[in-house]
Amino acid sequence: MFKNEEMEINLGPQHPSTHGVLRVKLRLDGETVTHCRPMIGYLHRGVEKICENQSFFQGQVWTDRMDYCSAVANNLGWAEANEKLFGITVPRRAQYIRTLLNEFNRIASHLIWLGTHAMDIGALTVFLYAFREREDVLDINEAFCGSRLTTTAFRIGGLREDLPPGFEKLVHKFLAKFSSCLEEYENLLTENRIWKKRTVGVARLSAEDAIALGVTGPMLRAAGVAYDIRKAFPYAAYSEMDFEIPTRTEADTYARYQVRMAEMRQSARIIQQCMDGMPEGPVMAKLPKILRSEVNEVYHATESPKGEIGYYLVGEKGSLNPYRFHVRAPGFINLQSLPKMAEGGLIADVVAAIGSLDIVLGEIDR
Amino acid sequence: MNKFLRTLIPADIAKGLSVTGKHFSQVFFTANRRKVPFHIVSEYPEVPAKVQPRFRGRLTLLKDEQGEIKCVCCLACEKICPTQVITIEKGKKEGRKMPFPVRYDFEMERCIFCEFCVESCGFDSIILNHQFELAAYNREDFSLGTEGLGQNMFEPSHVGKFSVADD
Repeated sequence: MFKNEEMEINLGPQHPSTHGVLRVKLRLDGETVTHCRPMIGYLHRGVEKICENQSFFQGQVWTDRMDYCSAVANNLGWAEANEKLFGITVPRRAQYIRTLLNEFNRIASHLIWLGTHAMDIGALTVFLYAFREREDVLDINEAFCGSRLTTTAFRIGGLREDLPPGFEKLVHKFLAKFSSCLEEYENLLTENRIWKKRTVGVARLSAEDAIALGVTGPMLRAAGVAYDIRKAFPYAAYSEMDFEIPTRTEADTYARYQVRMAEMRQSARIIQQCMDGMPEGPVMAKLPKILRSEVNEVYHATESPKGEIGYYLVGEKGSLNPYRFHVRAPGFINLQSLPKMAEGGLIADVVAAIGSLDIVLGEIDR
Repeated sequence: MNKFLRTLIPADIAKGLSVTGKHFSQVFFTANRRKVPFHIVSEYPEVPAKVQPRFRGRLTLLKDEQGEIKCVCCLACEKICPTQVITIEKGKKEGRKMPFPVRYDFEMERCIFCEFCVESCGFDSIILNHQFELAAYNREDFSLGTEGLGQNMFEPSHVGKFSVADD
């Protein structure tokens, strides 16, 4: 009379909690997910191929548009990969300013994550408070490079301009209030019983699975692996900074929330150290007028807010543009862990799993 | 017993509500008072939004004191532009030693406001102005040049209306 049948449904690509145009194919047994496959490619623009047809200088504008929530971190990776390719040493002041802006970007990206993730799960208030602070970070971006989201902040060899007048005041104003703002978010979420019911023990990803899948960033650190490229392979001015790598061992959505909150505190610490120890000097290295590459290949990895973002560049002799360009996008590789987290759980927890991944589809599809 | 008490008395939810309550009362009791730090929204179209001095807006051609176009057609901006939105046609003008741009076309709809053109310019003849309200109803309004009414490269663009009812 009655028969059991599995139902196949699509989550997305226009679902608001899939953070863009991600489509997840789900097979359900009642409310339990038995099969889960993310389908990507709706936002494919061919960034890698476009960059191969543009000069090394021009390619940077495309890195802004990959992970648009953390454009500065992407710019940093691109600039440093190119400096590695051409063998350019960046002045120390430029390194400090890069570190400073990169950490501001980490805060902005984590705030966007906090707001949207909490909103997916049902806590709308945090979204408004998180975006209030993000606005200040965007104002700092605007004061430094003139644009809020697609920053194009750095140049190969250093920076375009030094810090603007009045920049220190903006930074100190932000730092003075930021720790109390973080407490506000934690008051709203950390002990909240609804938040805990939706996140504790949900979407587990063990350290073994995470390493096997190549997952990096806060996802990996929430599983107890203290791997952070800022410490493991220091770049920019991170070797001179004193900060900790927050880790958790629970490996669930709640642990990822705690790791990201702790990371924002560490970022504020790094910003303070950058402002205190800011050296004087030039911000741009001496460069030839036209950059022509030799036969060479580099891979440079940096820690973006989402995880390890790596740029692979192959140079051709006398060429103005890279012969081959590839991005190791953290979102793309972190997304591969979604079936591991979602299968066997409830369909409502798929939303929590996607939220805790902190994905941006512009970077996954490229 | 402890767990039962915690279920009965929602201290965690009260903690969250105290945050929203604090913000609500701060704003509510200081309503209509200006320059209060916790009023974070602005009445944007009525009160003009401020931008930082380095803001990257629309591309603008500059003129020198005599009213001459400063551009000398070195084509550096045309070459550096990642989206190829600038087209320059070189020409001559009487009483001017340097080349003169007969045409300086700028297709704003594809511009990404990266400021590479301004950076590459060795003669300081272009800037990005502070205009950000660049919406328009017609596609032709986005192709700017050195000639023509309301869509030239020297002054801010014609600001699009916020709604059709504004006309």
